[in-house]
Amino acid sequence: MSQIISKPAIRRLVERWLRQGKRVIAPVQVRPNLVSYQPVRSPDQVLLEGFVRPLNSIKQVVFPRHEQLFQYRVRGKQIDLLPAPLPDVERIVLAARPCDAAALPILDHVFNWEFRDATYNRRRELTTVVTLACTEYDAHCFCTSVGSQPNDTRGSDALLLDLGDQTLEVRCVTDKGQSLFAGQTEASTRTAPTGPGPERRADLRRVGQQLEQAFERSEWAAWTNRCLGCGACAYGCPACHCFDMVDEGGPTCGARVRNWDACQFGQFTLHASGHNPRNAQSQRQRQRIYHKFHVYPNKFGELLCTGCGNCTRNCPVSLGVLPVLEAIQAEGAK
Amino acid sequence: MLQPLRETCRRLLQDGIVQVVIGYGQAVRAVEPYPVFITDPDDVGQLVWNEQCRTNLVKYLLRKEIRVLGKPAIVVKGCDERAIVVLEQESQIDRSQIVVIGVACDGMAEPRCEVCDAHQPRFADHTIGHATNETQPAERRYAHLCEFLEQPPSDRMAYWKAELERCVKCYACRQACPLCYCERCIVEKNRPACLDTSATLKGNFAWHIVRAFHLASRCVGCDQCSRVCPEGIDLRLVNLSMARASEASFGHRSGTDPQAELVLGNYSQQDQEHFIR
Repeated sequence: MSQIISKPAIRRLVERWLRQGKRVIAPVQVRPNLVSYQPVRSPDQVLLEGFVRPLNSIKQVVFPRHEQLFQYRVRGKQIDLLPAPLPDVERIVLAARPCDAAALPILDHVFNWEFRDATYNRRRELTTVVTLACTEYDAHCFCTSVGSQPNDTRGSDALLLDLGDQTLEVRCVTDKGQSLFAGQTEASTRTAPTGPGPERRADLRRVGQQLEQAFERSEWAAWTNRCLGCGACAYGCPACHCFDMVDEGGPTCGARVRNWDACQFGQFTLHASGHNPRNAQSQRQRQRIYHKFHVYPNKFGELLCTGCGNCTRNCPVSLGVLPVLEAIQAEGAK
Repeated sequence: MLQPLRETCRRLLQDGIVQVVIGYGQAVRAVEPYPVFITDPDDVGQLVWNEQCRTNLVKYLLRKEIRVLGKPAIVVKGCDERAIVVLEQESQIDRSQIVVIGVACDGMAEPRCEVCDAHQPRFADHTIGHATNETQPAERRYAHLCEFLEQPPSDRMAYWKAELERCVKCYACRQACPLCYCERCIVEKNRPACLDTSATLKGNFAWHIVRAFHLASRCVGCDQCSRVCPEGIDLRLVNLSMARASEASFGHRSGTDPQAELVLGNYSQQDQEHFIR
């Protein structure tokens, strides 16, 4: 037996959640050819079909691109620090792609390793993630190459699968998912078939072994020299999590803020002395590949990549991790 | 077009006139062509030319990763080469050390191509193919902007708020821009900080306004910034706005005349504005 719900019923649920003061984040058609995860104001904005994947990611729900950590106020010799209040609005992410949700357990490791990050964990507790299994793919999708698939439930509280005729199968994965859909679904005998997913182009779970030998390869420049050094790959990535902390304000008052940062920026590792250990773009690209497919897997036992393909999709020059890894693998096969 | 292009590039490499060709390649799977850097004459087969070659490659003339490859030849369209003209005027390149291969272009199916008056490159060292440059009256060239400006200011402000709300400050606009070549961008200056680095609405407005200020009268309207924006922000509106102001106030269309005096980059004792003397 399975559980099903109609698309109109889902939209009625969205309306109810919004009325309850919850924040609903879902894929929205910003304009033709541009689908983006955005907070929705009305249920009809939510895309439940007809898109491959948004060009941004759901990480912004738990790890916003900008947040205040505390404010400071200087009065004479007195310095007051006013901690930012912890988030308290409940959020529901609806119709996220499984390759987005799969990044949440990856982020959990980082934000709870050695230091438990209070605002991250608070947002995570407040967030329920409902994913929508993929039925269409583009040339940049590669979830099947990192051991995932279009109906992966990793990181999801509930998974929706399209049954056609405006009906979705609901698979609740966690207690959060159960309670979100309790009493809202109907029992059915219909289940969604598992699609093949995008063509499997490589087994990237094993690429780490190849990377062991590749650090000093002279070809890094040739593999990556079209990189322009922007942050479009990292900021569209559901799993990239680097941040910078800066003080914004004046000598008497201001705030310490945490902003996204990206490893392809020339300033990312620039030391105060002027020395930059990653002075060339190829070194920065190598860092990105090693972090995702060697360093993080060695530490946490899984890849820092869910195969969403946003790095290549967003790249001004169609680079991203897969073209680089394919080049490394092609060299290895020679 | 493709065969003469590859043949020209092969000859330039074979004869040792250049050490690298900056052109377009395309993998079977990739949707869009991407920049390639050909150093071996036997590899010119990697070069492609089709109606998807939208990217302006001129930025690579300035990237140190490409400069180390030696004297370059670069494949440009008539719109892209305007950036080379400006880079020379601003003393950023030695034009004699660059071979420009202009390819005639009938348009890349972008709205901007419908009002293009540079289908045929004019300043290239080698030109492949033939196209006709039709004169485009200013009202046609700025039609996209004028249509936008018909809206009341409050609607325009609401539009920019909604657009810039999405900006994540990935700086793809800056990195892809052939005329954004500062070694240290003003937004990276932090002793003291000049601009908020935060991708808030305030910080995003500040960033895009400052960038427009720095490109005013210089932007050649290749719209590479608009093309690469992962959030689909229509920076072309900003570019058209700068171009129209430059043309209306100074009769200057950036990158269309190598002999032209620059609006902001020239100093003259005879300047009509006394504050500059």
